Amino acid sequence: MSTNVLICDDSNLARKQVLRSLPESLSSDAQLATNGEEALAILRNQNIDVLFLDLTMPVIDGLGVLQAMQDESIELPVFVISADIQPEMQSRVLNLGAKAFLRKPVQLETLNENLKLHGIL
Amino acid sequence: MSAFDLSEDQQDCLQELINVAMGQASDQLARYLNTFVYLKVPSIEQVKSDQLFDSGHQNLEAIAVVSQGFFGYEGIRGEALLMYQPQDSHRLADLLGYEDDEMSFDEQIIDLSSILTTTFLNVFASQIDNQMSYSAPRLISANQGMVSEHLTQQAFNWDLALKVRISYQVTDYSFNCDMVLLIPEEAIINIKTVIDRILEDF
Repeated sequence: MSTNVLICDDSNLARKQVLRSLPESLSSDAQLATNGEEALAILRNQNIDVLFLDLTMPVIDGLGVLQAMQDESIELPVFVISADIQPEMQSRVLNLGAKAFLRKPVQLETLNENLKLHGIL
Repeated sequence: MSAFDLSEDQQDCLQELINVAMGQASDQLARYLNTFVYLKVPSIEQVKSDQLFDSGHQNLEAIAVVSQGFFGYEGIRGEALLMYQPQDSHRLADLLGYEDDEMSFDEQIIDLSSILTTTFLNVFASQIDNQMSYSAPRLISANQGMVSEHLTQQAFNWDLALKVRISYQVTDYSFNCDMVLLIPEEAIINIKTVIDRILEDF
């Protein structure tokens, strides 16, 4: 059974960085969203198993996505990948239910370690 | 066509490199001010030398500018300007909250600017396998004539600049500042070459 992945980032380069860091079993059919609004539309209408989420984005930012997911009881593992590395921001996203906070630019080893830690791989 | 015309992919790559650099600079700012900084998507635009003061700074007589030179490998160099609007300078004075017998406001704003500039450029440089060194930061007298004179004294000619609009909002205060990177044309060409190398990897 395949794992349905959604990558949400307003940067094309950042989305590619995440895709390249994922094993093929996760990256081959990954869906892409360029802001939080697009991501929420996909999350509401499709069965997504894992979300990789940027924070600083136009339209709806990453915190807005996490808050909406909490409000609407959309439950799935979320890995936040962000350049906003302030400790308080890391606490906020974890309090909103994210599994892990990873700093940009994402490193293959770190991403895979976290996926294993949380039972995705 | 100027050396600084970027394709959509090049612009996206530069934006992401800047986002990562801004994130770490904001983290340093938050630690320096002992507060939380709300980070917005920075906007990037190129400006011509004669347009540098055209937008965003209505009261040019009171603008505060901190200038700091940077030098990297592969001919990547330039001058970083942090430009504060007058009302924000006053907010910063409140925010920094030093006692009268400590550092002067000039020293404080130079310190703050140097933290932002060097953190930003160090992180930017590390992402393109480069390394920066810096000249001492200088607060330029708060009027446009002095700033223009300072810019004409640079050791290189520049026609275009990269202007990164940074908006910081902290818990009780907000202020905006523009980080303007004055980069000579040959350095811009070198940065584009590095961006193309990154894009080739994908």
